Amino acid sequence: MPRGKHKSRSLRRVHVKTYKNGTKISYRIRKPSPAKCANCKIILKGISRMIQSKFRNLSKSEKKPSRMYGGLLCSKCARRKIIESVRQ
Amino acid sequence: MLQMRKEEDYRISQTMKLGQLCYKLAGRESKKPCVVVDVVDDNFVIIDGQVKRRRCNVRHLEPTSRILDVKKGDSKDKIISLLEKEGFNINLSKPRQKKERLAKKRKIKKSKPKDDEQRRPTKKVSGNSDSNATR
Repeated sequence: MPRGKHKSRSLRRVHVKTYKNGTKISYRIRKPSPAKCANCKIILKGISRMIQSKFRNLSKSEKKPSRMYGGLLCSKCARRKIIESVRQ
Repeated sequence: MLQMRKEEDYRISQTMKLGQLCYKLAGRESKKPCVVVDVVDDNFVIIDGQVKRRRCNVRHLEPTSRILDVKKGDSKDKIISLLEKEGFNINLSKPRQKKERLAKKRKIKKSKPKDDEQRRPTKKVSGNSDSNATR
């Protein structure tokens, strides 16, 4: 039987090979959900999907695109937004 | 929802003129004003202004109605001055200047006084020294 705290599915389960008894279940943190565009809800590219402690150690260019609205809007929506603001 | 650009808009933008004021749409310099300095092709132009002087696809530019007085081979300073007259606040980042680093001074340990005799007074041997010398 798993422990009480391991009954919930907030942690993912990984079967790990052991030396003696075949396999053993280890409980690990789940990946965060991918970043999405604020306008069209499409999954953004160029943003690594990591837990916060590992995300912190990445370089600046790996965290988000250096474009305007990078990491917030997809490239198509950002382009439209710029055109709209410029035309006004 | 925002509207997409129509094909007619692309056709208009393909006829770029010298000195046309544009905005960049793609890349790290997006939403920054620039001026057409040279026309290479129907698809490509050379731009300058608040961006690096470079060749650029016409589809990555949003043209405006304004056309500035620019000639071929104008310097970057002149184009920036023209943009500032139009009312743009341009702050170009300058390359970082090298600073002369001062060499670190080595710490020199203070030499200890050699008068060990003062710290550790030698024991006065009475009598035995004389006896060893005689041997």
